[in-house]
Formats: sequence, structure tokens, C-alpha cells
Amino acid sequence: MTTAFASPPASATQPAPSLLRRWAQPFVDPAVFDYWASHINPLWTWERPLARVLEREEAAAGAVTLTLQPNRHWKGFTPGQHLHIGAEIQGRRVTRSYSLSDIPRADGRIAITVQKVDGGLLSTHLCTQTQVGDLLELAPAFGDLVLPKALSGRYLLLAAGSGITPLMSLTRALAAQNMPLPLTLIYWVKTAAQACFVAELKTLAQRFANFKFQLIATQEGGQRINTDLLAPSVEAGAQDLHAFACGPGGFAATARELLGEQAKSFKAEAFTPAVPLNTDSKHQVKVELRRSGRTLEVASGMPLLAALEAQGVRPQSGCRMGICHSCVCTKHEGLAEDINTGERSSEPESAIRICVSRACTDISLDL
Amino acid sequence: MTKSLTRNLTSQELEQFGAEIDALRARTVADLGERDARYIRNIFKTVRWTELAGRALLMIGAFLPTPWMIGFWIAGALSLGLSKILDNMELGHNVIHGQFDWMGDPKFQGKSFEWDIVGTSENWRKTHNFRHHTYTNIHGLDDDIGYGLLRLFPEQKWSPLALFQPIVAVLFALLFQWGVAVQNLPKGGYFGKHGKAARKEVKLAARKVSHQLIKDYLIFPLLAGPGFLVVLSGNLVANMLRNIWTYTIIFCGHFTTEVETFHRNVLKNETRAHWYWRQIRGSSNLAGGFVLNTLSGNLSHQIEHHLFPDVPANRYVEMAPVVRDICRRYGVHYNTGSLTKQFGQVIWRILRHSFPSRPSRARVASLQS
Repeated sequence: MTTAFASPPASATQPAPSLLRRWAQPFVDPAVFDYWASHINPLWTWERPLARVLEREEAAAGAVTLTLQPNRHWKGFTPGQHLHIGAEIQGRRVTRSYSLSDIPRADGRIAITVQKVDGGLLSTHLCTQTQVGDLLELAPAFGDLVLPKALSGRYLLLAAGSGITPLMSLTRALAAQNMPLPLTLIYWVKTAAQACFVAELKTLAQRFANFKFQLIATQEGGQRINTDLLAPSVEAGAQDLHAFACGPGGFAATARELLGEQAKSFKAEAFTPAVPLNTDSKHQVKVELRRSGRTLEVASGMPLLAALEAQGVRPQSGCRMGICHSCVCTKHEGLAEDINTGERSSEPESAIRICVSRACTDISLDL
Repeated sequence: MTKSLTRNLTSQELEQFGAEIDALRARTVADLGERDARYIRNIFKTVRWTELAGRALLMIGAFLPTPWMIGFWIAGALSLGLSKILDNMELGHNVIHGQFDWMGDPKFQGKSFEWDIVGTSENWRKTHNFRHHTYTNIHGLDDDIGYGLLRLFPEQKWSPLALFQPIVAVLFALLFQWGVAVQNLPKGGYFGKHGKAARKEVKLAARKVSHQLIKDYLIFPLLAGPGFLVVLSGNLVANMLRNIWTYTIIFCGHFTTEVETFHRNVLKNETRAHWYWRQIRGSSNLAGGFVLNTLSGNLSHQIEHHLFPDVPANRYVEMAPVVRDICRRYGVHYNTGSLTKQFGQVIWRILRHSFPSRPSRARVASLQS
């Protein structure tokens, strides 16, 4: 198996560069071009996708919706996808993954809704520091929590907390098509004040008989996800039910348990890092960082990224849970284990995601 | 030199010494942040504006009457030379070391940064970041000892060719960027089993050279139309000014009188602490203020740079007093002096060792430690 994906896969093949661009490329240093171009328009860059914050709006208690204007180097998205957003915090670029909550618009603007996470560097920054006019780094949209081209059957969307954002995008996409098939959205929050998009969802539920919306506040007497809550959807016929779940790891796992077998299709995305299963592996292994010419000793049980960061090395990273592939790097040799799946790879020169891989043996990385 | 100015340390002392250096590093790295990011961005901006000013002055000067043209030409060449010096030393050299990798800004990533000089950053990472910084001043391993051209230490083999080295040294200074560019490029072996890698390396180097030549000696002169030669000569002088300056600073870093060189047997079971110890004994600083620090890419703090090659160079000035104090307490000679004093010693070395010379007995003994 060859796995060579240095970054989130570009959603579309890039169009061939213009003749002028190809001619000029060898003589243009993108950093120099960007510096001078930014004096004319801060969004003008040679190749770097960037966005300017156009609007900032409270979406709920502790959550904001940012409307962004990307430059021409950002190539669009499909509802349900997410992207990397980067901002500089105390001199350091911090990148995290956010789902796009709107549907593609004619003016090219995009929106993300950010829930402030306790101790979350970027979410706190975006919720409290970011102002209209600020610039943010973007990466191509990716992710497969998307609707198929040919729609059929019934849809059940299960959102918990900020897991609402990609499912909101899907709901809006179906609403834009006048709700062509039955759709149910169940949205769990801790308190009703933390729920985003509620007014819009209620309006949609009134407008479309096909669309059912249920808001459940668990700290205000609502139940967590269970068989009873899902029963109406399942009883209406599981054989043509397509279910999507997005939320914390435990939530997504429970949803998969309850629906994974029965539903016709089931897709989930989770956003809390998985806990290493093999924590007993306390022995030390040597990690050679071949490009920087260093060798470090780390505990075998620790994910490589965290182990390296603890020693002051900062490889590229993003989601820190194995879905975004920002931290993918070539493993020259050694046995690595995927902490989430337990899958082991001894294949030399193979790409691993260091945020969810641990080194079972001494290992050599292209870092 | 007859005897090392650095006293021998017991292995316990050496480890304590290393721990103090480690602690200084940890304190500094923990404090990196916005200030350092702002610093390197300001350097980047200065490089851009001095380059723009230099190229504009040369271009405009080409269309002015003679006395004005000369004034503009001088100012333009100086400004462009300054831009290249800052680009190569304070920006390029330091960024390529990965000093600003922690920022995560693609503009300042060591692995992808490219600079305004004929040598590729890829080749530089191997010769400089790896070989020179790991094997500093070890005969046979650190190619920077004389760059294969000059005999600067009595341990290097003498040949009659060395008699010409005062002239060679001057030419080398004028063409320094070319010397650095070809350093460690594979010399031969293009056809054998490993020929492919060698050919690729030379191809990349040739591409970089042609870009640099086309930029400075074709595109910008052509933009001036009839002023072609004015711009071309200005660019040539700017490149030479940069060559002479970088040569001067770099030679002052390792070829002053008191610096020590080592036999490769020091590498046997070398500890981190011993590596620190060797870096200090093999490097020399330049005493000066903000201007010298900035123009030298903070290589005026060669000792601190060799202890902490991947710590942002703007921090060296704050680390230096601490390093100096540690050295005083452990009896390690801290080699520093003015630019004229240190470069005078370099010139003396070049002249002295063009004639046969032998290492003194006391000095050889010090190397066994």
C-alpha cells in the first residue's frame, strides 16, 4: 500500500498555471511577491490561500460565526467538508480543523462557527481576539462527510456540541434543494444557551414538512444519545436510512454502536483525541529525526507527535486525532502502530501520521 | 600558540558545565514568542526595502548626468550590498538553521528557505548545518578549516602551493559565494553506481547559479535599457561587497589565534557536554554593538551560535553574558575581541602558515583531553 499524502488531499485537480506564471515561476520568490503585493491588497499572494475576516457574529454562548473572504487560491468546498484554519498566536502558527457551516455561495464567502474550548488555543483566539479585517491562513477543504451525488432514502443527522457545523452545512444544502427527501436532525448540547443556528433550524422545520429538528440539552433534563431517541427514525425503516454523526469521540462511538449495523450507511466524524490503548508500553525507544540530524529517546507508548513536542520539537500538525494528515511524514524504518486502530506498519519508507502513531521499536522519521 | 588557555575539567566538572549550558538553552527556548517573530519579520522587511532602494537608485542613476550618476551608483551598490548581507547572514543563515521553525510560518521554515546567493540552501544544510556544526574544527571532518584552499593551522599539511595563499586568500574573499557554492558538491563520481544523486545535486546547483546570474546580470540590467552597464556593474559590486564582508566575519569566527582545532579521536564517546566544550574552544566572538551584531547575522556571537545553532540569533546577545560567566567559573577561555584585532589575527594566520610550521608539543598534548 502506498500512502503518500503530505497534506489534506486537494479537493479538485489544480488548473494548469498560465503561461506567464510558468515563465515567471523560477524567478519569483513567493515570500517576496506576497510582501510587496500585500501593500496593495492584503489578500494578494502568489500561491498561498488566505482569507480576511468580514463579519463576526455571536452564534451562541461561547461561540462565534466568522464570515471569511478567501483569496483566489482557495478552491472551494462541498457541504460537510472541513478545512484548516491557521492564525498566529504569540509568534506561533496554530492550525486546527473547522467545518464550514454554510453552503457554497455565489460571492465565494465562507463561514465557520467556532465554539470556545477550555484551554483551546485557536478556538479561544478566534472567539475572543480575532477582529473584522484580520487575515487567517486557509488550506484546501477536505473530508468525506458529504452527501452522495444521487440522493435517495432518508437522512438522519446526529450532532453533539460543535459537531453541528458540518451537519448544518448538509441541512442547508438539502434546504436549498427544497428538502427533496425526509431529514431528521437531532442536536445535543449541554445547555440550550450553547446551541447554535436554533432559530434558523426551527424556521426550516416549519417551512419543510420533510424536515424534523430536535434539540436536546443534556444538563437541562435531556437524555444522552440512546436507542429510544433514535427509535422513531429506525422504526420508519432502517433499510433506507443514511446516518451521519459528528461530535466527541464517545458520542460518535455510541452512534456507530446503535446505528452502524442497522442503517444502510453510516458516517461519523469525531473530534476528541483517542486515548492510547497501549499505555502499558513504558519502554523507551529511539526516534531518529533524520533531516534535522537528531536522535531522541521517547516512551514507546506515547504518540510520536506528543512525545516529540514534549522535547521541544515541533513537527507540522493539525487535528491531532488522525483525520487531517497535516503531520504525515515518511517513516524510513521501524515498526509503528496506529494508536486508534492497533494497525501495525513495518513497511519501510511509508507515510505515517505521527499524532496517532507510536513507535513500537526504534524508528527513523523524515523530520 | 603554545598552550591551551582552557584548563582541563574532570568528567564530573564537564557534566556540570554542560548542564548549565543546557539550562540556559531551556530557559531561552521556553521564552520564545512574539518578540522573536517580530524581529525576524523586521529583518525580512529591511532586506526587501534595502533591495528595492538599491535597485531603484542604480536604475535611476543610469539616466542622470555623470556626477549624479556616480553618487546614485555608489549609494545603490551599497544599499543592494547591505540587502544581500542581511539576506545571507541575519535572515538566510539563521532561518536555514531552523532557528524560526517553531513559528510554523512557511516563509521562515529552515527546510524550504532559499537565499540570494549562488549556493543552494540544500547544499548549505549539509556542509554547514551538519558537517561544520557537528564536527567543528576537527581536521579531516570540518571542511571549513581552510575550505580546502588555505593552510591556516600547523596541523594541515604544507605544500609549496601554500606560498601563494596570501593571493589565493584575497581572490577567495572576492569570490566567496562561489567557494561556498561548490564546497562539498560531489567532485567526480557522476557515472558510477551513485552517479544519479551526484548528477542531480550538480544540476540543482547549476540551476540556482543560472537564476542568480540571470537575475543580477541580465534581467535587472535589461530593465534599465541603455543603462545596462551601470546596473550590471552596480550589481557586481554589491555581490562583491557581500562576499568580502561575509568572508571577513566567517574567518573571524574560527581562525583567530587562540581557537583550537581537534583530532578526530575527540569524537570517541563524546558527550553533549564535551561537544559544548569543544564548540567554545573552537570559536571566537567579535565585540561590538547592535550594528555589528545585525550585519554579521549575530555571528559576532560565534560562540553562542555554536552552542545553540538553532536558537534565534537575536537571543545570543542576551545569552552571551551568561555563557561568559559559566566559562569564567569553569576556566574555559572565552575568545572575544574587536573586529580589527580578530581579523588581524586571521591575516597573520594566513601569512604565517603559508610557510612551513609545526604544532607545538604542549598544544598537541592539550588535544588528547
